[in-house]
Amino acid sequence: MSENYNLTLELKRLIIDTLELEDVDPSDIDPSAPLFGEGLGLDSIDALELGLALQKQYGIKLDADAEETRQHFASLEALQSLVEARRVN
Amino acid sequence: MLRRRLDDTGRATCDILRELDPEANSPLVHASRHGDAADTLTMLENLQRGDPISPARFSMSVHNAILGVHSISRSHHRPLQALGACGDEFDAILYEAYGYLIEGHPAVVGVFSEGPLPPTYEGYTEHPGTACVVGMRLTLHQGRPLTATKPAHRARPTPVTVMNWLDGDTAYLDGRHRWQLGQE
Repeated sequence: MSENYNLTLELKRLIIDTLELEDVDPSDIDPSAPLFGEGLGLDSIDALELGLALQKQYGIKLDADAEETRQHFASLEALQSLVEARRVN
Repeated sequence: MLRRRLDDTGRATCDILRELDPEANSPLVHASRHGDAADTLTMLENLQRGDPISPARFSMSVHNAILGVHSISRSHHRPLQALGACGDEFDAILYEAYGYLIEGHPAVVGVFSEGPLPPTYEGYTEHPGTACVVGMRLTLHQGRPLTATKPAHRARPTPVTVMNWLDGDTAYLDGRHRWQLGQE
């Protein structure tokens, strides 16, 4: 549980730092809310930036055009499942 | 949310645009001699090392990026123009603004900015030595009249030179023309 919690917080910080979300606190990110469009309100450039950060941090390579990538980025929970399943470092 | 993509110079530029064109109704002309030299250099260094470059930084590396962000955040749908003119930016802003004015736009906002110059470039180009931004709201028939005459020596004004002139520290501003402000 605590490992899960740590990864949740780590991913929130990764999102905030990578995307320079200056006025967002980790507690502001609802794990089940949409990251893009509604919810956190990220855009397509943020998606590319986040993809690059996942590659650097966890060695996860994603296809920018694939439909499954869209699903992985749907919410923080989805992103966390992706990292747990596919991280190589 | 988009503001986070701008550096201090970009933020100051957007603040001035919002102040001088609150209704998002005027054509906007933004000039910068060097643009975002700092982030561009960072990207070039990344490429040199074989590192991936940041998509967000790349998206902001075009000369019209600040106007683009401003137009999205303010729903501005009038003409936008980004200029770099090798030191002739001030004159170029006025030429372009004049074109829009004689086309019938009631006012044009011109903003002239320079970002910080990375130390790597010091000594290789002219730079005011600090990040700086100045803006003007230009019309054909209101406000203080602006006249152009032939200068004794052509000069390349920076935003700081323009600010000093607008503050009244200098009687005229030399660019490709000698610009003087009359009384209202």
